[in-house]
Amino acid sequence: MRLMVLPALAGLFLLAGAAEAAEPPPGASSCTGCHAPMKVADTVIPRIAGRKASDIVQFMREYRSGAWPSSVMGRIAKGFDDAQINAIAAWFAAQPE
Amino acid sequence: MATRRTFLKLGVAAGLAPALAPSIASAQGAGRVVVVGGGFGGATAARTLKALEPRLAVTLVEPNATYTACPFSNNVLANLRSIDRQQFGYDGVTKAGVTVAQRSATAIDASAKSVTLSDGSTLAYDRLVLSPGIDFDWNAIPGYGEAAAQIMPHAWKAGAQTVLLRQQLQSMDDGGVVVIAAPANPYRCPPGPYERASLIAYWLKIWKPKSKLLILDSKDAFSKQRLFQNAWAQLYPGMIDWVPLSKGGKVTSVDPSTLTLVTDFGRHKAAVANVIPPQKAGAIAHQAGVADRTGWCPVEPVAFESTLQPGIHVLGDAAIMGAMPKSAFAANAQAKVCAAAIVDLLAGRKPQDPILINTCYSLVAADYGISVAGVYRPDKGVLADVPGAGGVSPLEVVGGFRGQEALYASSWFRTITAEVYG
Ligand SMILES: Cc1cc2nc3c(=O)[nH]c(=O)nc-3n(C[C@H](O)[C@H](O)[C@H](O)COP(=O)(O)OP(=O)(O)OC[C@H]3O[C@@H](n4cnc5c(N)ncnc54)[C@H](O)[C@@H]3O)c2cc1C
Ligand code: HEC
Repeated sequence: MRLMVLPALAGLFLLAGAAEAAEPPPGASSCTGCHAPMKVADTVIPRIAGRKASDIVQFMREYRSGAWPSSVMGRIAKGFDDAQINAIAAWFAAQPE
Repeated sequence: MATRRTFLKLGVAAGLAPALAPSIASAQGAGRVVVVGGGFGGATAARTLKALEPRLAVTLVEPNATYTACPFSNNVLANLRSIDRQQFGYDGVTKAGVTVAQRSATAIDASAKSVTLSDGSTLAYDRLVLSPGIDFDWNAIPGYGEAAAQIMPHAWKAGAQTVLLRQQLQSMDDGGVVVIAAPANPYRCPPGPYERASLIAYWLKIWKPKSKLLILDSKDAFSKQRLFQNAWAQLYPGMIDWVPLSKGGKVTSVDPSTLTLVTDFGRHKAAVANVIPPQKAGAIAHQAGVADRTGWCPVEPVAFESTLQPGIHVLGDAAIMGAMPKSAFAANAQAKVCAAAIVDLLAGRKPQDPILINTCYSLVAADYGISVAGVYRPDKGVLADVPGAGGVSPLEVVGGFRGQEALYASSWFRTITAEVYG
């Protein structure tokens, strides 16, 4: 029994580590419906994966306040507070460009 | 913290050390997820599960080798697109490590946690995801059954029905009336009937300009209504007539042999009749016992697990998702949240409270797009609107705003289909 528990234990940490690294913060997985995680030919929606977190944060705040004009991002950004935006921005910044 | 028991389960769930513990793996069978339905919800869930936790065994059950997407199928009616641009295979899903079983699911045993397929084989699961989309309520409109749909197409599941409706439009005489019967809420794609009316009018204006379009509606208000009606007045003056419920819009029966639609207020003879009937969750959801008396599936708002049958998650059109509408965008967003939650649940972790976005673009003309957006989070047991967020495109715009949204709409479609099927 003990022999089997050991690799299983190791598995837990691997699993936890992998899943926590990959799992996006609340809201982020909805962004990728429009902002492709992969390269998409022929899209006019700007890429955000791999962008500087501070840039994403700034865009989101300005969309939210209306300081920066937008077609849809203003309506979306109004659904997120600063902490949520920071987490999402950090996650996208860590994705491959 | 997890107990020693969960450690064991976890190691197996993760598919680790199979050489050391093969008997436990097969005896406990943890880490197997079966997904039924390879549409926007199901295909997204299957891929995301595999991406987040490659050691899960994920099987996608879908009878069709090709999926025909509904978004942008109204463009097919207006000859702005060919139907094959709506079609996607499952190679990308397979390459992502998902096992695709090209079968339909015929029965689900929630207590035995097994799915029976059309070839008689069974699949055991630890967690089941159902995203079977819609079925039509063929008893709702007297006269409108499956045979009638060959004469008065619904075109609400894209494919042969879309092509049939386009053929009928193309062969109709100029000066005829195209009638669209729109259902009461809830139904798949709330702005869809009005986008369809717009794009058919766009096409009629070019090719059959003496023709008219009549919408017989079973409700008194609809999605993006003022944006649509303003655009109709501007682009298609006098062409589109919308009859709400309160003015006799509800179709109470149809006669396919004479292409007649009957309401409490009168009879309408159509040159082409597009009847969009009331809908319910796909049949397998009813068989599984996850649908309630509304015909749809109640779920909790974090992992979208059925409130009627534990271990079964329901996504997309089939589910009751609180304030979220039935759209491809929503099904995709829900699937990504559900997949992450399932990975957590199988690992003994509590899933995080999600935030979801929905956006439905509609085209009023080839280069004229409008949108409705919403942001949602769990509140008192349901997905609710985040106050202050979301809403529709502005009523007054300058310059190329509508053209820009039309470009964003097609960009969205390319992006989401690349994410799901690419
Ligand atoms: C005309 C029209 C326009 C639309 N436009 C838009 C739009 O612009 N934007 C948008 O976001 N949404 C749009 N939609 C809505 C969108 O198509 C749906 O909301 C979306 O497809 C829902 O995804 P789903 O996974 O719930 O179901 P579906 O995409 O219908 O997928 C269900 C899948 O399950 C399979 N299935 C069913 N039963 C079984 C079984 N027993 N065993 C195995 N497989 C099974 C089916 O074969 C199918 O492939 C539109 C819809 C229509 C009709
Ligand atoms: C419905 C599609 C859609 C969704 C969903 C969406 N975006 Fe956007 N995004 C756009 C469009 C379109 C633009 C261009 C500005 C505009 O017109 O709104 C944009 C612009 C941006 C920009 C500016 C990029 C640049 O270089 O100009 C950022 C940052 C951004 N979005 C972040 C996000 C985040 C974060 C999310 C999820 C919380 C998100 N978006 C969800 C469509 C979307």
